[in-house]
Amino acid sequence: MEALRQAFDFSDFPRTDLCVAVAVAVFLFVFPALPHSSFAMATMIQFLMFSVYGMGWNTIGGYGGQVDLGKAQYVGIGAYTTAVMQIRWDLPFWVSLPIGMSLAVGWSFIIGYPLFRLRGHYFAIATIATSLILKDVFESWSFIGGARGLKIPLRAEMPDFWFLQFREDYYYYYVILAFFFVGLIYLNWFRQSRIGMQLRCIKDNEEMARSLGIDSHWAKIKAYAVATAFVAAVGSFHACYNFNIEPEDVMSLDLSVLIALMAMLGGAGSLWGPIIGAAILVPMKNYLGAWFGAKAGLIGLDLIIYSTIIMAIAAFEPRGIWGIVTRIRQSRSD
Amino acid sequence: MARGYLMAALAVFAAFSLCTNAIAVDEIKIGVLYPLTGGAAAEGKELRDGAELAVEIANNVKTELDMAMAKNSGIKSLGGAKIKLIIQDHQGNPQLGADLAKKLIQDDKVVGLMGAYHSAVTKTVAAVAERYGVPMINESSTSPALTKEGLKWFWRTTPHDGTFTNDLFLFLQGLTQGKVRGVKPFDKKELLPIVSACEKTEWGSNVDAAIKEIGKPSGLEPQISLLYAAKAPDLSSEGQSLLSVKPATMLFAGYGADAILMIKTLKSLKAKPKLIWGQNAGFESPEFVSALGEDTEGILTRTVFSPRVGEVKKVSAQVNNLYKTKTGRDLSGASARAFTATQAWVHILEKAGSTKPQDLQKAANEVKIDADELIVPWQGIKFTTTGPDLGQNVLGTGMIGQYQKGKDGKMILEIVYPFELATADMIFPIKGW
Repeated sequence: MEALRQAFDFSDFPRTDLCVAVAVAVFLFVFPALPHSSFAMATMIQFLMFSVYGMGWNTIGGYGGQVDLGKAQYVGIGAYTTAVMQIRWDLPFWVSLPIGMSLAVGWSFIIGYPLFRLRGHYFAIATIATSLILKDVFESWSFIGGARGLKIPLRAEMPDFWFLQFREDYYYYYVILAFFFVGLIYLNWFRQSRIGMQLRCIKDNEEMARSLGIDSHWAKIKAYAVATAFVAAVGSFHACYNFNIEPEDVMSLDLSVLIALMAMLGGAGSLWGPIIGAAILVPMKNYLGAWFGAKAGLIGLDLIIYSTIIMAIAAFEPRGIWGIVTRIRQSRSD
Repeated sequence: MARGYLMAALAVFAAFSLCTNAIAVDEIKIGVLYPLTGGAAAEGKELRDGAELAVEIANNVKTELDMAMAKNSGIKSLGGAKIKLIIQDHQGNPQLGADLAKKLIQDDKVVGLMGAYHSAVTKTVAAVAERYGVPMINESSTSPALTKEGLKWFWRTTPHDGTFTNDLFLFLQGLTQGKVRGVKPFDKKELLPIVSACEKTEWGSNVDAAIKEIGKPSGLEPQISLLYAAKAPDLSSEGQSLLSVKPATMLFAGYGADAILMIKTLKSLKAKPKLIWGQNAGFESPEFVSALGEDTEGILTRTVFSPRVGEVKKVSAQVNNLYKTKTGRDLSGASARAFTATQAWVHILEKAGSTKPQDLQKAANEVKIDADELIVPWQGIKFTTTGPDLGQNVLGTGMIGQYQKGKDGKMILEIVYPFELATADMIFPIKGW
């Protein structure tokens, strides 16, 4: 009960933050009712997916300070569990979702134990390596389609809430929106919880944390498992939303980097950071591509603008957008 | 302060919903998805230029061309309505391809789709077309699996890799039997060992499977077969692995940059194969020749078009001249296939006399385009409506070309298969590096 109260306790945030958060939440709820294009809907779904990916990354990468560049392996585990269970055993999404999350968490414990013996760049490189190795395994595993991947067959009756198959995207939107709010509430609890405090302490000074009796190795493993569950859940959703999955799509290094990039750009270690990062990068990536991507003479301009903005933010404020907001607030209060 | 934040947040999110479109009654919109940036950007631009040329011909009377769509201005059965292509860049990303397909269908109100080159992207785009009941013509994705899904809204003009790979082994057998122009019969063992390396997405992995399956009965299956990441920055270990058995024959399937990288790697490792064959795509892009120059001499690629086709097909030469005037380049396999798929769209629209999806579906299933109409050396276009290869053009055929130095010193693709269409003696064995 105390945990539940803590999860809904946002009282330590300034009022302005809460006003904006409420306005955004209202906007997210009513968005499908507003005039919108289908591309805007697809972009919003991707924004919500990457927000939840980012929330997961934030637990270990933001609060824990462990730069994880291998999150795509858990997207793959979640996506493949759902796809395989639907295709081979006709099991609904809501059954495969917790199984996929459990498998991903199990895998995270297996690799987390040795990985967290490493620190800094070595840890980041090791996460890339494990993700790529698992991707290679998936690519050569014929039971799950190998490199060709899997295609979830369309069901005769739509909408199908059990198997998460819809003709209209707003159904998918509300499902991922539910994931988004559950993730946000959980993360709010997490940051105030004992494990959240321990992680921040470890991030600031691991030696000191250990001297205070914190089992830093075990704390990191637990946080890594939490991060994994988030990412695997969205991976399961991705399989149903996209109908097709293949290792190159759901387990690529690009995806791992993008997840980390969005969280870092928004502001690692803050509740709103991953959401802000996804809200900026996802529409920018999609719309710049749609506007400039196909026009003769402008090809590649979208990528130039996209990368320039990322570099500018990284150079100006390495703590991300949330770091800029914090700096402005501090300068006003001084 | 709070109000300012609120307005800013709402402004950012409101920007998502700004796409509104009106349907013009005098034009028919077709949504096109190509990779215009990324590793296959060069092929994407070729495809775009080919499709745009076909639309230009369909929308204007060009009496000098010997093809039906050049005789009318627009679609005659639709009151002369002009075709408009709405081209999007999917960057080789299946998720983005699916999102853009939704945009084209729901926001831009296209009557149909075309694309998407990468088989992995085509797969997700075709799934969207199927969900929304919108016809999609595919011009250049050759994974056999695409037409084995039983899709009702998907048609493919190009032959697939089953056909192309079959052609490869018929060619190799013919090569040993002296059927290839300029090469005397020799023992099959001289082609052994065979090795293969394919990029590992939907397309490459299907090519890999086809090579193993089709090569086995003739005793020409690869001794080593690798899958590699097309985005890999280095292929040295793959190259060394392939060369470990001193291969006589090397078979590849690579998209763009990786095809170039593979040949550069083989050169750096001083490879000495007798024969190198590429499954089109990267091996046929203009960049392949411009980046590798004379190192391409002797390399074989399966293709569906070579400017040499113009010597036996007048309409091919006519369209190639138009294309060269427009872009400064000859038609390639990619641009010729995009041209042909757009031409198929014109015939389907003309036959349907309607832009309703069901009418277009019926017209696509019934359309028959004669060989004389096409710039590619196929027997025509006719899609299957039953059986396991639903929506596949059964009249398409492949060719195998070999890069040879022309009289002007530039590398050109000479046809070596089909044997009866050969335009030059084949270089065999190649000199290697």
